[in-house]
Amino acid sequence: MYSIAVENLHKDYRIYQRPQDRLIELLTRRPRHNLFHVLQDISFTVMQGRSLGIIGDNGAGKSTLMKLLVGTLQPTSGSISIKGQVAALLELGAGFHPEFSGRRNIYLNAALLGVPDANIAEMEREIIEFSELGDFIDRPVKTYSSGMYVRLAFSIATMVRPDVLVIDEALSVGDIAFQKKCVERMNEFRRQNKTMIFCSHSMYHVQELCDTAIWLEKGRIREIGESHHVVGNYEAFCNSRAVEHHEPLDINAVEDRKIKDCRVIYTMIRNLDGEEVDSIEPLSDVYMETKIEILQDNLMCNFGFAIMRNLSEIMSAYLTTDLDDVPKGPFMKGEILTVRSRLNAVSMRVGEFHVLGGVADASGLLWYETKLSNLIKIKSTKGVGSVVMRVDWDVQRG
Amino acid sequence: MLLSLLTQWLRAPFTHYRLFHNFVRQDFTGQFAGSLGGKLWLFVTPLVNILIYSFVFSVVFRAPMPEAYEGTPFVVFMMMGYLPWFAFADAVGRASTLLLERAPLITKVMFPVQILPAVGTLVPYMVHGIGLGLFLLYLAVQGYLSALWLWLPVVFVLQFLFTMGLVAILSALCVFLRDVQQIVTLVLTTWFFLTPIVYPVSLIPEDWQPLLILNPMHSFVQMYRELILLDSFATSSFLVIVPVSLLTYLVGGWLFMRIRHAFGDVL
Repeated sequence: MYSIAVENLHKDYRIYQRPQDRLIELLTRRPRHNLFHVLQDISFTVMQGRSLGIIGDNGAGKSTLMKLLVGTLQPTSGSISIKGQVAALLELGAGFHPEFSGRRNIYLNAALLGVPDANIAEMEREIIEFSELGDFIDRPVKTYSSGMYVRLAFSIATMVRPDVLVIDEALSVGDIAFQKKCVERMNEFRRQNKTMIFCSHSMYHVQELCDTAIWLEKGRIREIGESHHVVGNYEAFCNSRAVEHHEPLDINAVEDRKIKDCRVIYTMIRNLDGEEVDSIEPLSDVYMETKIEILQDNLMCNFGFAIMRNLSEIMSAYLTTDLDDVPKGPFMKGEILTVRSRLNAVSMRVGEFHVLGGVADASGLLWYETKLSNLIKIKSTKGVGSVVMRVDWDVQRG
Repeated sequence: MLLSLLTQWLRAPFTHYRLFHNFVRQDFTGQFAGSLGGKLWLFVTPLVNILIYSFVFSVVFRAPMPEAYEGTPFVVFMMMGYLPWFAFADAVGRASTLLLERAPLITKVMFPVQILPAVGTLVPYMVHGIGLGLFLLYLAVQGYLSALWLWLPVVFVLQFLFTMGLVAILSALCVFLRDVQQIVTLVLTTWFFLTPIVYPVSLIPEDWQPLLILNPMHSFVQMYRELILLDSFATSSFLVIVPVSLLTYLVGGWLFMRIRHAFGDVL
């Protein structure tokens, strides 16, 4: 039996030139707007007791979808049907009154969620206990730290035992211990056969908590399916995009650079025969090479290579800063340097990477310029695991 | 469609009584939370106001009293208009921020928004009702009490409905047009001085007096004054306030219900 069914959901925001146009249109029903499609063609169902994760970039429409599910926004077309009571944690403590104590706010908040006062009284102790607020519960909410705020809000929203729980980024705040408690509470929810919708930038939590996931891109469902699968594809997409975005930038940056002491012409990988390659075999030896043009007399340089899975993740890096046996200058204007570093027995077994080659000043702190190589693929071979090392076997009797 | 919107509007505070109650409590006590004087201010503020106005209008400017009210101190005459007006003006003045202040709630939490105008009207009426109650108590002791006072609750409720209708309209408009906030402040000041509250009707040129029928607040004030001070029933005023109040309440409700779904898009 389904718990949430969404069919052909569309949401447009109307963009008005002037604020009063919106009002005139509402009253006269004559259009005066431009349309902006936030969500298009969204259809999915969530079975009772299952949980759904929503992932995607900022502005992909995640929050809008959540608001539509909760009912604070109306869809432009399409239908949403939800069975049972919904509790939402879209903004933590949205209903809190800062001047009132935590205890008073429990009542206000639970009333908003539709719980009778009598039932709240029963839950009150449990809520206070779960939120770990202790004596703070009788202090005004405005004195709470953001962590305490979240703890109270999360405790209330989950304690009212809704049939469907909608949570937006709840776990990003609060300390690790409380995050763990939240995850446990949410898992308990799943065991009680309740339905959950969870929107997060934490891929780990989405994988842990959700059975299925939706990847939203520009208001459309890019992928829907088993959460591990969708999250994996989304992460791969993010990684590849980070590199793509960087590469053209880097090339264009040459003219704009403020420091005109030297420039990187290229970075590439060569095999031992000196040929440029874009795929290598595990455990083979290759050269990382970068060519640098000196634009200033008497320049002292340091060199470096980094192996990057994406722009923010350095897998392994090598610098000349602490090496004394590498010539570091002074170089003269017009000189071309070829910097090479030999990688012995590349230990990656699968995947792709870029090599970032760069040149820095004498201290190694100021990088004049860096440049990425093309994408280098590891040739697929038999085996499992992401790393491979050179091993020697020995089997003996006795 | 129209009918179901209106019934939803009429029933809102009753079907969602718990929420309504909590909101009112939150709003009412929220005004004093963290203040030293607390609820004492509820009594001090109207008392000080009464004293200021008594001083200004019975010592500094002495307005001539109409003949019918011979023997009634001017302060009493003025207060009978001023106290109901104050409740009205306070509620309408706050209407513009009623929804804006709760934007996070309206966009993030699903709840019946239509109870908010009722909350926004009830709280000022409770606050100023205290001043009015004290004043009526004083008048009763002074010997003004009569059977006609039984009409007071009716008039008061009508004024409440009139206010609530305006609050609904203004609060909803303000979501779309922030200018409403400034306009309301200006209009309220003008309205106050166009209503014979701090001066008697007789001071208005006779040719202009019929125009006062366009000002429902004048009819309310007239109603209160005649009921309490003259022990007579102002039928002509009553015939104005009944249709005006009910119509404002219903039109306000219809407008509010009609555009409430768009609040989430704009706030």
